[in-house]
Amino acid sequence: MTYQLIKSLLSGEVNGAIKANDDGTITSFVFDPDNTDYQAYLKWLEAGNTPLPADTGA
Amino acid sequence: MAYGTVSADIIQSSVPGVSLGAGDATMMKNRIINGAMVIDQRNAGASVTVSTATYCVDRWGFSGSQASKFTAQQNAGSVTPPVGFSNYWGLTTISPVSLASGDYFVAYQVIEGYNVADFGWGTANAKTVTISAWVYSSLTGTFGGSLRSSTNNYSYPFTYSIPVANTWTQISITIPGATSSTWNTTNGQGILVNFALGVGSTYSGTAGSWSANNYLSATGATSVVSTNGATFYITGVQLEVGSSATGFEYRQYQQELALCQRYCFVPSATQANGAYLRFGVGANQSSTISNIAVNIPVTMRAIPSLTIPSPVSLFALYTAGSLLPATGLAIAGDGTSPQVVTVSASVAGAATNGYAAGLLANGNNTAYLILSAEL
Repeated sequence: MTYQLIKSLLSGEVNGAIKANDDGTITSFVFDPDNTDYQAYLKWLEAGNTPLPADTGA
Repeated sequence: MAYGTVSADIIQSSVPGVSLGAGDATMMKNRIINGAMVIDQRNAGASVTVSTATYCVDRWGFSGSQASKFTAQQNAGSVTPPVGFSNYWGLTTISPVSLASGDYFVAYQVIEGYNVADFGWGTANAKTVTISAWVYSSLTGTFGGSLRSSTNNYSYPFTYSIPVANTWTQISITIPGATSSTWNTTNGQGILVNFALGVGSTYSGTAGSWSANNYLSATGATSVVSTNGATFYITGVQLEVGSSATGFEYRQYQQELALCQRYCFVPSATQANGAYLRFGVGANQSSTISNIAVNIPVTMRAIPSLTIPSPVSLFALYTAGSLLPATGLAIAGDGTSPQVVTVSASVAGAATNGYAAGLLANGNNTAYLILSAEL
């Protein structure tokens, strides 16, 4: 399992991430400290993992 | 015309020890949401094989040290629920596990801090609470569970008995208020309520007292996960202030649904006339990206995550008279809050910048969005 970063459509700053789940679904989330997917992402980073860069977008 | 004034601070009820109007035995006494297992937005009654962390019927989750050991389903096995209930949540072992010390398999609900702030836990004024429920299992014996703090290091293991197999048993456990540790009283994890399905020694402790440990169950409790085909069903779960269980607090369906939607909202095309369900409307930002606002019926606990099924072409943008299959769909940090979510939808270059657009199910009854702000 890995994450790919998402950039703000307005500022261009990274403000979220997306991941593919084991059951085939896809989850995306913003970097909100109260969001449990973001909390899990932070633990994943702490474990030494690195996300994929964001798409360049349109 | 004056009708006069009625003064009544406390009205004695027929339930011993309970005073209606005294504050703890009236509306919203039950801090568990969906305790009667009525709401199942994610799966609509379908069976799912649970992974290491899976939300099942609304607000109820499963957590396990190993994946694919249980199926979970609203009304699994189609047994008759206990009198007064129409639904229950059932878990069935599909791959037995001989428990190692670090194994754990629990059904749980995390109660938001706001909803237990009045307990006064972590202070000298901590209130005693009582958990009650109806339980049913193919196994008999002493089962376990626990209450645990948000810091994961303070817990109260408890036990209860299921004396007869395949028969509903009403249980009640009274727990003294926790005068120590840190307990969230805002929108974080207030109290974790566990019903254990098999927990190894690392996460099991002596029943009946608070302990500065991460205990999920009581030492020696029955392990449902260790028997292939074993079942554990539960409904009528209530956590209330007081030293005795009172009658289950029934809520109207829409009340219970709204309470659940603070944590999860699932607009779905899986319904009549849902093949082109409009999930939201917005505008194209470019020829390939449209920003769609999805309204949420109640304020969520936090900014939700968005989960969608695969392939993403189950969704489409309707813009300028054309239905364009989506090539990407993700939550957007810009313009997203606990009240309104902005979804960024990508298409293959046929949209017109500035035109209005709608996010639709692309002619199917399987598209859905899961907006989750669970704890």
